[in-house]
Amino acid sequence: MSPSKSSYHPPKLAVRLLHWFCKDRLLEEIEGDLYEYYQIEREENSKWKANLHYWFHMFNFLRPFALKKIGQHSNIIIMYRSYFKFAWRGMMRHKMQTGFHLLGLILAFTVCGFIYLHLKFETSYDSSLENADDIYRIAWMNENPQTRTPHPMAQAMVNDFPEVIDAVSLSPIYGPGLTKTSVLLTHRQSNVEHEVNNGFFADSTFFDVFSFKTIQGDAKKALRTSWAIVLSESTAKRFFGDKNPVGERLSFNGMDDMLEVAAVVEDAPKASHFHFNFIISYVSLKSLDFNDPWMSWDDFGHFNYIKLRAGSNANDLEAKIPNWAPKYLNWPEDYIDGLRAGEVKFELQPIQDIHLHSNIRWELEPNGSFSYLVIYGVSALFILLISIINFVNLNTARAAQRLKEVGVKKTLGAYRSQIFTQFTLEALLTTFLALALSIFVMNWLETPFNHLVNGSIAIENLWQADVIAFMLIITLFTALVSALYPAIYLNSFEAGSILRGLKLTKLGGSNLRNGLLGVQLVATVLLISGSLIIKSQIQYLKNKDLGFDRDNLMVLEIVGQTMSQKIKVLKNSLASLPGISETSVVSNVPGGQFNQHPLYMEANPQLTVDASEMFVDKDIASALNLEMVDGRMLDDAFAADSTGTAFVLNETAVRELNVQDPVGKQLFWVNNEELVKGTVVGVVKDFHYNSLHVPIRPIIMMMDENASNYILARVNPNNIPATMEQMEAKFKEIVPELEFKYQFLDSQIDELYQEEARTLKLTVLLSGISIFLACGGLLGIVSIVVRQRVREISIRKVLGASAKNILWLMNYKYLIISAIALLLAVPISVYYMKSWLGNFTYQVAINPLVYAATSIGIVLLIAATISLISVKTIKSNPAENLRSE
Amino acid sequence: MKGTQLGEFEELVLLIVGVLYPEAYGLSIREEIINQTKRKVAIGAVHSALSRLEEKGFLKSELADATHERGGRRKRLFTITAEGKRALEKNHELRNTLFNQIPDVALKLARVVSF
Repeated sequence: MSPSKSSYHPPKLAVRLLHWFCKDRLLEEIEGDLYEYYQIEREENSKWKANLHYWFHMFNFLRPFALKKIGQHSNIIIMYRSYFKFAWRGMMRHKMQTGFHLLGLILAFTVCGFIYLHLKFETSYDSSLENADDIYRIAWMNENPQTRTPHPMAQAMVNDFPEVIDAVSLSPIYGPGLTKTSVLLTHRQSNVEHEVNNGFFADSTFFDVFSFKTIQGDAKKALRTSWAIVLSESTAKRFFGDKNPVGERLSFNGMDDMLEVAAVVEDAPKASHFHFNFIISYVSLKSLDFNDPWMSWDDFGHFNYIKLRAGSNANDLEAKIPNWAPKYLNWPEDYIDGLRAGEVKFELQPIQDIHLHSNIRWELEPNGSFSYLVIYGVSALFILLISIINFVNLNTARAAQRLKEVGVKKTLGAYRSQIFTQFTLEALLTTFLALALSIFVMNWLETPFNHLVNGSIAIENLWQADVIAFMLIITLFTALVSALYPAIYLNSFEAGSILRGLKLTKLGGSNLRNGLLGVQLVATVLLISGSLIIKSQIQYLKNKDLGFDRDNLMVLEIVGQTMSQKIKVLKNSLASLPGISETSVVSNVPGGQFNQHPLYMEANPQLTVDASEMFVDKDIASALNLEMVDGRMLDDAFAADSTGTAFVLNETAVRELNVQDPVGKQLFWVNNEELVKGTVVGVVKDFHYNSLHVPIRPIIMMMDENASNYILARVNPNNIPATMEQMEAKFKEIVPELEFKYQFLDSQIDELYQEEARTLKLTVLLSGISIFLACGGLLGIVSIVVRQRVREISIRKVLGASAKNILWLMNYKYLIISAIALLLAVPISVYYMKSWLGNFTYQVAINPLVYAATSIGIVLLIAATISLISVKTIKSNPAENLRSE
Repeated sequence: MKGTQLGEFEELVLLIVGVLYPEAYGLSIREEIINQTKRKVAIGAVHSALSRLEEKGFLKSELADATHERGGRRKRLFTITAEGKRALEKNHELRNTLFNQIPDVALKLARVVSF
């Protein structure tokens, strides 16, 4: 290699890379070696090979010894490192305070995360369906709105309106008295038998509207075939395990091999307003060729769903219905007029709104309640607010202690922006640490939380873009807000004046702090008083006299209309047990759903009233402890009673029928096509056969031996297990084909108030957290304030102030703040709680004691907190405090 | 205190630095290793070993003049320090004493077995 020869240039990118990562001290020799090496390589090898070797050896220098130490020579990085060091040391110096900061933020983030996930779940109902935005349910809105509309309506809408692409009519399988019933399905070959609930009849178009995936077989074809059954995946597993069940036969309620399994489809997701275990096509029913009025326009007895062409306006369609429907509805003119005038109407409910906004009669499953979600959301935001304020307040209070630090930094040449960055970074460090920890806490508390609120939060949903964004936003927001004050305020002082000794009294931003403290107290008061009122309302619902005696009432489920004789035997033998005092066979139990038909008095056929119906036996009044206000209870000793032509009404029915002395008068009961005429024999005092969310409506009671769903039995509370055993033995002996299934009526009724119970638990929990955080925050601030005022306190003592005087001095400002907060919070709380109570038909009166108790409690707690902190300083020897400076 | 033990590769590099005196620098050392031991070594590996040896105090280095074939960059020339020399001697001695302690029979047997 002669020097005159021009040398080769190694690949530029590789060289630049080397410059980027290699230590400056080593760079020259390494680059030189590589350069020399490259010259040799180029002499001996092709260019690309030499390049390749160069790259290889260059990468080979990616070893610790050659790498730049990050920050070794970078001012910025050194500075940031020192910020972290400062932040870390600051945190370590005040371990208690840091711990409380973190705890508060973790609690707030965890609560917000959980509530966000819960709200997300509750609002996601039915959104996973394809075209969910275009699917609507047709509901019937009259004075007592219901979900069910006539069966032919669905297909008629497809035929008559071009914007309706698909429609399906479906109905759960109802037992007598229109209670959702279980069906006994049997696979005879393997002798597997289960009572399966959530069975549906549906049009063959079911899967055109609902996009559930088929797993086995052809689901669409299955619904066009009579006597075919479509199973959900979980049901198929129950019967057939992992085998492909298509082609197997199942017996339906003892009818041998009636159904052929034609398809298996995925289960409806958890967040669906209905769940099916199996579907049988209406085709099967229609093939029976029975002219059931149920399938006609006369019976509002089906759930109808329509799918619109994407982008069509549902309101426009809804407006067309009143002029369209009358051609099908065989109604008297005045009814039609009511429809045209909009007094009653068919409403299109967006399917995604059903879970939270519908809640009318015959919902397929209990609905959620939007008003509770609002309560949850607001409570979580309150907790967040309280926690942020704590963080801000403690940061500003502590800022005073860092004034000198800022002064020194400024003297040494720190820019304002650098001081700002430092404070922001410190806040970010704390909040992100809290965020990270709260994710652990959320993982840890997932199950207990779900258990507590009966929720279905899945923590893996945390890792979705919107949730992450939400968590990051609240974290950043917290950090920025809390850094803003110290960063800007402390920054505003001249370095010189700080170091010369700024007067402490000018410092601290106590107005801001006290204002925030007030806001915090308002939030706390709202939470506490709110949860107290929710509690009293729930207590009220629980303890309200329902008009019947629900204690110790056992509800035995009996399926099958064909066994009335056996059921009578069963009833009598149960009644003879020593632990049972009363028994009665009924079609529906209080707290459940009731079928409804119109009725009118013979004397006044113009006035029809929709009444719930309940088929009972002669013992119902004594079993439920119902009170008769007129006439007598039904009794099968009377022939008319046992043939179902004697009626008992409740007071509301009598009132709405506008009839005086109804006993002995003739009444018509319109059971679809069939008109039943009978005599009113008695009037029963109103009782709450529905949940207390709705007012008492008319009810009619009559006898029908074939309409028995339940046996009610009042058991002696003293020896329930033994009685149960005897009952089960009797049950097995008399009706061995049935499963012994029972429930207690009071627990069944409590289930109606699940949402309330959950809300109560949650609000109590959240208000507990809020008290804890608010007091903790106050504790932090006051301890700093007391430290700043040590000398003042000591001088006052020296001058003769008593401990009481000084305590009052420390307290009175905060007491004024809490008084103002209370004055603000109480009216707000009263207003919103009144509007919340408005959701209930039966409301507890807001007890002023609630607010008195909240106020006194808060004031006492604040006074105790402050006194606790100050008392040590007050008791200490003033001479020592004054000597120290 | 960093460990003052010599690794196998480190010892090799240290020896080669001695062999090449006074012209021992990264690339020449690598070439010498390849020539003498037929081992494939990356330049980075040699430099890494050199920097470790220097840290342990077995080598010292200074920058030489820039040359054309290095694109005007200076090379770092390494020489063994007294401590490096001592470490080499210690290793050498240790190896010799241990070798001498092996009974002749063992070596004979080894020879037999290896054939």
